[in-house]
Amino acid sequence: MEAKPAPESYEPGSEADFERLYRNSYRRILGTLITLVRDRATAEDCAQETYERAFRHWKEWRPEASAEAWLHRIAINVAISDRRRQKLRQAGELVRRLGRPGAGPDPSVVAERSDLFRAMKKLPPKQTAVLVLRHFHGYSNREIAAALGVPEQTVASRLAAARQHLQAVLGRR
Amino acid sequence: MSDIERELEDELHRVLDPTSAMPIPPRRSAGNRTAARTVLGGAGAALTLKLLTGVAVAAAAVTVAGAATTGSINPIIWGQQVSQHVADCKAKLTDGQHGIGDCVSDFSNQHGQAVASDARHHGNPSGSANGHGNNTNANDHAKNKNKGRSTQQTKGPSNGQDTTDPAAHATVTASPQP
Repeated sequence: MEAKPAPESYEPGSEADFERLYRNSYRRILGTLITLVRDRATAEDCAQETYERAFRHWKEWRPEASAEAWLHRIAINVAISDRRRQKLRQAGELVRRLGRPGAGPDPSVVAERSDLFRAMKKLPPKQTAVLVLRHFHGYSNREIAAALGVPEQTVASRLAAARQHLQAVLGRR
Repeated sequence: MSDIERELEDELHRVLDPTSAMPIPPRRSAGNRTAARTVLGGAGAALTLKLLTGVAVAAAAVTVAGAATTGSINPIIWGQQVSQHVADCKAKLTDGQHGIGDCVSDFSNQHGQAVASDARHHGNPSGSANGHGNNTNANDHAKNKNKGRSTQQTKGPSNGQDTTDPAAHATVTASPQP
């Protein structure tokens, strides 16, 4: 499990501090996004959008909350928006491609295509997000609840639903 | 920890651990991107285009009005001529008479017609090569004043020939572009 970094102090509105936050958190935010969107390039684009949105509201961030948890919340919203756009694009492409052979798989995606990873990507993004925060970033349910702005019980039920779904898809008990 | 949880962690590390070795790209500047989007994209593009078109039309209207009045696109000449004429009009006012609007208006009408007429005599309906720096605007102004007159009159002396007469033109061979 990836060790969570010790919380650093940042001053809201300080551009230098935001740059430091970017350097400290970029890879973990990117990791979360890779599990939520279709490929790595999209994840990188979503990561940049996450920091753009965060920077616009950087003055409003309150140091009582973890800056990285706040970034995760924004990143998950960016990923959900991207998934919606992606569904619209796919519908449009399907109509355009009717009767023609489909394009081959993206080589950068093939490496990530284990059964488990594929099944995880098919989960609702909010369930995927809690799995990644819990099992990759090592957040507790309470920290995830604070990051996502939902009750702790909601986090627990999302985790349970996600695990159950994965077990069913993979045929495990 | 259940099997699925352990497997999940292993899988996440297999896929995501390589990202921790990746170089961190420079942060995209929100300000620049937003500005570019505002100017180049979506509704911003439409508004910008409309704004620029409005400015261009307004500038053209000022040029047309000035040139039609003074026969020159040079604003310094407009200024001199109009100032001079306004002064003349004021001097002509008799005691108890007010307003120089008609006097100035007459000046602009006469001047526009004179400029257009001059252009016709030089065989240049556009009036752009008559030695006075006149342009199409002055000619258009005169055309409006001459509505109802023969169109032959506005063509000038060089237009005596029928422009559709093949004998009046040298043969032109158009070769296709490479």
